[in-house]
Amino acid sequence: MAVLLAGGALIAGILGQYILFDNQVRDIVASVSCQRSLSRNPVRKGISLQVTSRIAFHGSPRMHIIVEDLLPRETVLTEGNATITTKSDTTGQEFPLRYRIIPLIHGTLRFSGISVQARNLFFETTVQLRREADTGPALIVLPTGLFQAPETGSGEGTRDNRKVSVLSSVDIHSLREYQIGDDLRHVDWKTSAKFDKMYIRKYTAPISHPPLVIVDLPWCSASYPEKEFNRMISEVTGMVTHTLQTYQHISILFISGPNIVHLIRDEKNPARCIAELREWMHPAERPVHFYHMPDRTDLRFLVTNCEEAALEAKDPRIQGSLDLLRERYTGILQYQRNPAFAGQIARTLSQLLMTEAYLFTLGCGDTSHIRHVVRPLKNQQIRVNVRIIDDTRPDRSTRQDSFSVARGTSS
Amino acid sequence: MSAFLPEYRFIIPLAAGIIGAALLLQPAIVYLDIIILLILISVFALTRTWHDRGFYLVCSSVPLMIGAGMMNLWAGMMVIWMVAGTLCTTLGLLASRQDLIHFIGFCGWVLIVTLLIEVSNHVLLPLLILAGSVVVVLAIQSVRAYQFRRYYSGAEQ
Repeated sequence: MAVLLAGGALIAGILGQYILFDNQVRDIVASVSCQRSLSRNPVRKGISLQVTSRIAFHGSPRMHIIVEDLLPRETVLTEGNATITTKSDTTGQEFPLRYRIIPLIHGTLRFSGISVQARNLFFETTVQLRREADTGPALIVLPTGLFQAPETGSGEGTRDNRKVSVLSSVDIHSLREYQIGDDLRHVDWKTSAKFDKMYIRKYTAPISHPPLVIVDLPWCSASYPEKEFNRMISEVTGMVTHTLQTYQHISILFISGPNIVHLIRDEKNPARCIAELREWMHPAERPVHFYHMPDRTDLRFLVTNCEEAALEAKDPRIQGSLDLLRERYTGILQYQRNPAFAGQIARTLSQLLMTEAYLFTLGCGDTSHIRHVVRPLKNQQIRVNVRIIDDTRPDRSTRQDSFSVARGTSS
Repeated sequence: MSAFLPEYRFIIPLAAGIIGAALLLQPAIVYLDIIILLILISVFALTRTWHDRGFYLVCSSVPLMIGAGMMNLWAGMMVIWMVAGTLCTTLGLLASRQDLIHFIGFCGWVLIVTLLIEVSNHVLLPLLILAGSVVVVLAIQSVRAYQFRRYYSGAEQ
């Protein structure tokens, strides 16, 4: 009986403490409220953004509470702290949290919620709050272009030779050591005898590069002509298929206004290429917009034009107006810098080998960005074909090699 | 240094009660009870600065609870009350009015258990009642915890 009494008392004590702890945890969790704000939304993949969270909760005596703001999946915390630690009894205090994260994947990402860890002398528990109010706001992460340098053909153990064959158009690009499975007909016997190792010749021949296909996608938040867009899809698909048949590989650059959406680089598999077209050929989000944005070359051209016109003008009022206009253009020229889009385009194009480029666009909305695409291509002596899919304007055919916006730059 | 610690409010009546009950009832294990009491007091004095003092106090007080309960069930109940009070004071669990209410609630529960054991002729009935109560409480807590976590996980929206 005495053992039963002692055991009953011990169990009652432990159980009572557990019930008290459980009730305190419930009170704490019920009092948690969180307000998050993002420094930018939507954001590009890989771009850092600041998150400001204000988390308020009621503490409890003798309770050690750790509240953590759970980041969205596939994001990295780069700066700041997303955790609050309290040891004393906090009554309805609000704790500000500031930290920076970098999203690593694109898509709509919600925060993973709030984690509340409570600990007292005897017990410890963690509750994760994942209600809709605890996981907002949704972070929209947009895809970004690939700006990596292309891999070179030469690897380890190869030596460039560039020995031109007199008999054929095929020349030897490099030599490398023999590997099992290599064709013995390609063995360079002279070099092999010299180094007492089997060396294989790697041949190259002059090739022509496939054209770059650039697709300017419409903005998803504005209306666009669906009929023309479907037509553009079929034209792009036809061109991609034809190019793949002719050149065995193709590069496609998707842009949406002054935003690089995606780059398909040197794709050889037709099925994979079509699948990527299906994935990316739809109206896209535009975090950056241009509105009648001339680049510095255009502005210089306008300044020169004004100067020439002012010299030729005889009426002093017209001269005054032209001088004023020139001053305005010069003022804009002083402060206007090249946009980030121009740099992205230049970096992307530097990875690709081409002699010709096709730009497909609906021509709806502002078309200033097309200048920034066409101009670097023209600077590299690449022939640019701008194709506007627009049935509403009879004066603009769907197949044309010049574009009013890129006037003077396209062939 | 404080002359009279809050724990003394429970440990002194505990010692006095054990000695008084031993003198009054004069059972066969009277010396054992006194020895266990001395062990408890020694542990109480020695573990003053130790981190896990509560655990050592519980371990050293359980034999005293059993010994006193074998001497007399009501003496056992008194030991449990005093030991619980000592533990709570040592661990800072008697700091507020709410804590005092919880402590009184615990003492009431021990009183009910003692009464139950007192009126029972055999150990089986109180054991079953105690075990059943614990199982019911644990089952209710499990369901509550499940509902609580389900609600906050966003599954019920």
